[in-house]
Amino acid sequence: MRRRAGESFLIGGEIEIEVLEVSGTRVKLGIVAPCTVLIQRKETQITRDENLSAAGSVHRDRIFSLLEKMARGGVNQTVKTLTAVSPLTPKDT
Amino acid sequence: MMRIQTRCFGEASYSQDAVFEFPHGLPGFEDERLFVFLSQPATHPLMFMQSLAHASVCFILLPILAVDPNYRLSIPPEDLKVLRLPTGGQPRIGTDVLCAAMVSTAGDNRPHPTVNLLSPIVLNLRERIGIQTIQTLSGYPHRHPLLALNPQPEPASCS
Repeated sequence: MRRRAGESFLIGGEIEIEVLEVSGTRVKLGIVAPCTVLIQRKETQITRDENLSAAGSVHRDRIFSLLEKMARGGVNQTVKTLTAVSPLTPKDT
Repeated sequence: MMRIQTRCFGEASYSQDAVFEFPHGLPGFEDERLFVFLSQPATHPLMFMQSLAHASVCFILLPILAVDPNYRLSIPPEDLKVLRLPTGGQPRIGTDVLCAAMVSTAGDNRPHPTVNLLSPIVLNLRERIGIQTIQTLSGYPHRHPLLALNPQPEPASCS
């Protein structure tokens, strides 16, 4: 499908997408859809999925196994200092 | 010092200047607005982004320059505004902002640990505001292998 600025197309009966403006490599789109339809950039969806899986992957044993693998080399460790973070009390490690 | 219940390390103490506000939360965690950033010698150089509201919500972070010393920020103007930074240019990592990548450990459907270079966590240290900025045009991957799968020096897909 080829569209010019000012032209639009439909997805199903309720979603309309109009090409509002084309400038260089960027396209400005107008979207008309029912309020129940979530509209978001694909990268936001990717980031959401990645965040959920990252949060689910936080386990104490996995953290230490990760550190072990990192210590064996492979990760660039040029930056070793962190600023403005307060130390956890390492009471239970 | 205040105390917080953490996901993996029991109770920990923190100071108020380790608390950062995320005005929009994070994608998938829109209601989580306050995070405490914690580090400890035993888990260096990892850093933990612990939700103040929910002990179960925690992310593992690595300083982004530790993953990629040449990492370049391209924060969109609307995110710079949230961070209360000038929109004319990009902040410098380490001096203007702290920038960290979220780590997913190996397990389940992920054979190797990965870091998300597409959507780094950026902190304005002065204002104690944070955001997860999505660097749409950067070309950085959201699943960058954290460990060099030696011995073949496969070029990173982001460089």
